[in-house]
Amino acid sequence: MSATRELMFDHGQPSYSEVNHDVIKALTTTTWRYWVTLGISAGTALLFFIAPWIYQIIVGVGAAGMNRNAMWGTYLSNFIFWIGLSHSGTLLSAVLHITQSDWRKSIYRSAEAMTLFSLMTAAMFVMVHVGRVWFVHWTFPVPNPMELWPNFRSPLMFDVMAIVTYLTASSVFIYMGSLPDFAAVRDRSTGLRKRIYTIMCFGWRGTAHEWHTLSWAYTFFAVLVIPLAVSVHSIVSWDFAMSTVPGLHQTIFAPYFVCGAIYSGTAGIVTVMWMLRRFMGFGRYIGQLHIDNLSKLLLVLSLIWTYINISEMFTGWYSGTSFEYEAILFRIKDGPYAWLYWEMIAFCALVPLALFSKRIRTNWNVMLVISILINIGMLTERFIIVASSLPRKFLPDAFGVYFPSLVEISITVGSFAIFTTLFLLFVKIFPAVSIYEVKETLNPLRKKEAHS
Amino acid sequence: MTLLASFAHEDTALDAARALREKGIGGVELFSPIPLHGADEALGLGKSKVRVFTLLGAILGAIGGFSLCVWTATRFILPTAGKAIIALPPYLLITYETTILLGTLMTLLGFFVVGRFPAWRDRVYRPSSNVDRFVIAVAGSGAADAETILRAAGAESIEREESE
Repeated sequence: MSATRELMFDHGQPSYSEVNHDVIKALTTTTWRYWVTLGISAGTALLFFIAPWIYQIIVGVGAAGMNRNAMWGTYLSNFIFWIGLSHSGTLLSAVLHITQSDWRKSIYRSAEAMTLFSLMTAAMFVMVHVGRVWFVHWTFPVPNPMELWPNFRSPLMFDVMAIVTYLTASSVFIYMGSLPDFAAVRDRSTGLRKRIYTIMCFGWRGTAHEWHTLSWAYTFFAVLVIPLAVSVHSIVSWDFAMSTVPGLHQTIFAPYFVCGAIYSGTAGIVTVMWMLRRFMGFGRYIGQLHIDNLSKLLLVLSLIWTYINISEMFTGWYSGTSFEYEAILFRIKDGPYAWLYWEMIAFCALVPLALFSKRIRTNWNVMLVISILINIGMLTERFIIVASSLPRKFLPDAFGVYFPSLVEISITVGSFAIFTTLFLLFVKIFPAVSIYEVKETLNPLRKKEAHS
Repeated sequence: MTLLASFAHEDTALDAARALREKGIGGVELFSPIPLHGADEALGLGKSKVRVFTLLGAILGAIGGFSLCVWTATRFILPTAGKAIIALPPYLLITYETTILLGTLMTLLGFFVVGRFPAWRDRVYRPSSNVDRFVIAVAGSGAADAETILRAAGAESIEREESE
C-alpha cells in the first residue's frame, strides 16, 4: 500500500496543509495570461459559434445546408463527438470509485468537469440543429392546449430523456464530490468569495455524521451513473442503428459507440491533464503513475475499438446483401471520404500501438500528441458515420456527396471554444484537484505505526 | 458550553471518541479533513438512511416513467406501421432513464435531509479541522467529564466555547 502511495507523487508527498495551499492557490491567484486566454476563447466562441447561429436562425436552417439528402451533416457528428467525450469522465470516476482505485483521486474532478462541459456543448448542438430553437420545449412531455405528446417510441425521444438524465446526474455527481472542498475554500477566503462559498458548501463542517452521509450518497451516485453513461451512448447509437440505412443498421453500434466514447474521452482526459500540469501547476499531484495508467487504458480501448471496426467490416461483407457490402466499399474505397477512413484507422488503431512501450506511455509530451491525434481520429469517425451513409441510401437517384457548409464548419470550430471557455471558468470556481481525496492518498496522520 | 479538543493524529482522535462513547458521554462530534475509517464504529453510526431515499426514488422513477409513456400514448391513439401502441422495448428504455433520474434526485434529497443540510447558521467549527487537525467537540452536560478523558487521550489543545 505505501509503495503505491510513494509512486503517486513524483516529487515526494506534500503535507496536508500543502495540499490545501496548492489547490486553493491555483483557484484564487489569477494571472493576466488567464484573462487573455479566457478573452480569446470567449471571443472565438461568440464569433464562430453564436454569431453564425444567429445568422442561421434568421436565414433558416438552409444556411447549414439542410436541404439535401444528408440532413444530419456535421451537427450530428459533432453532437456524437461531444457526447462521446463526456463519457470517460463520469464513467472513469465512478468505476474507479467503486473499485477503490486510489490513483483516480487527483484527476477525477477535472475529468468530471470535462464530462459536464462536453455534455453542455453537445446540448448546444441539439439546439443548433433543431432549427426553430424556440420550440425546443416541444421535445419534453409538457402539457399543452393541443393535447399533443411526444412519441416515446422514437429513438430521438430516448435521446432527450437520456441526455437530460445524464446532465442532471453528472452535475449532481461533480457538485456533491466538491462540497468539502468548497468548505476548504470558504475557510481560506475573505469578503465576497467567502460569502459565495459559504452558500455553495451548504455549511459543511466535516463531522463524522456528514462524511458518513456523503460517502453513502456518493456511492449511490456512482452506482447510478455507471449504467446511465453506458445507456446514453447506446441510445445515441440507436438514433442511427434503428434506421434502415445501409452502413448504420447494425447491432454492433451500441457497443461500438460506447467503446469509442470512452476511448475518445480518455484521450481527452490526457489532453486536459497535460494542460493542468503545464498551466495550473498541478505537476506535483498528477504524475507518472497517472499518465501510465491512463495510457494503458487507452491502449486497451484502442484494441477493443480496432476489433469492433474489423467486426463491422466483416459483418458488412458476410451479410451477403449488396446494400451493406456497397456501403462498406463506399466508406473505405470508392467514396470521396475514403481517405478520411484511413486517416481514422491510422490515428485510432495504429498510432496507439506505440503505447506498448513504457517510455512512450510515461512521456507527457508524446502522450499529448497521441491523445490529440486520437481525438482527431474520433471526430473523423463520427463524420464518416454521417457523411458516408445518409447520402447513399437505397435510391441511386438520390445519391449525393455531402460537404459541410461554412456555417457548419464555423460552428464546429466554435464548439471547441465554447468547451474551453467553460473549462477555464471551471478551474476558477471548483478546486480542480480534489483536496480531501488527495489527502486520503497521503500517508495517514497516525501516531502509532499502522500494524498492517 | 462546548468543549473543543484538537488532535494532530487520526488514531488518537478516534481512540478519544471511543473512550467518550464507552463512558456514555453524549453530544460528541468528530471533525476531520478526510473521511475516517473507523469513525462510523467509534461514534456508533450505522447504515445511512440515504439508501431509503434512493430506493424510493428509483421505484417512483420506474413507475412514473412507464406510466408517462403509457398515459401519453393513450391520450391520442396514433397507429404507426402496425406497431403496438404500448410498446414494451422503447418504453422500458424511458423507464430505465427515469429510474436513474429520480433515483439520483431522491438521493440528493436524502443527503440534504439525513445530513441536515443546508445549515448556514453559525455552529461550532474550527477551520483547522478541514486542513490537518482532528477536532472532537463535546456539547452539554458531559463536557466536564470529557476534559480528563480528552487530555489523557493526547489532545494538543482544549478550548471552551460558550454558546447557545
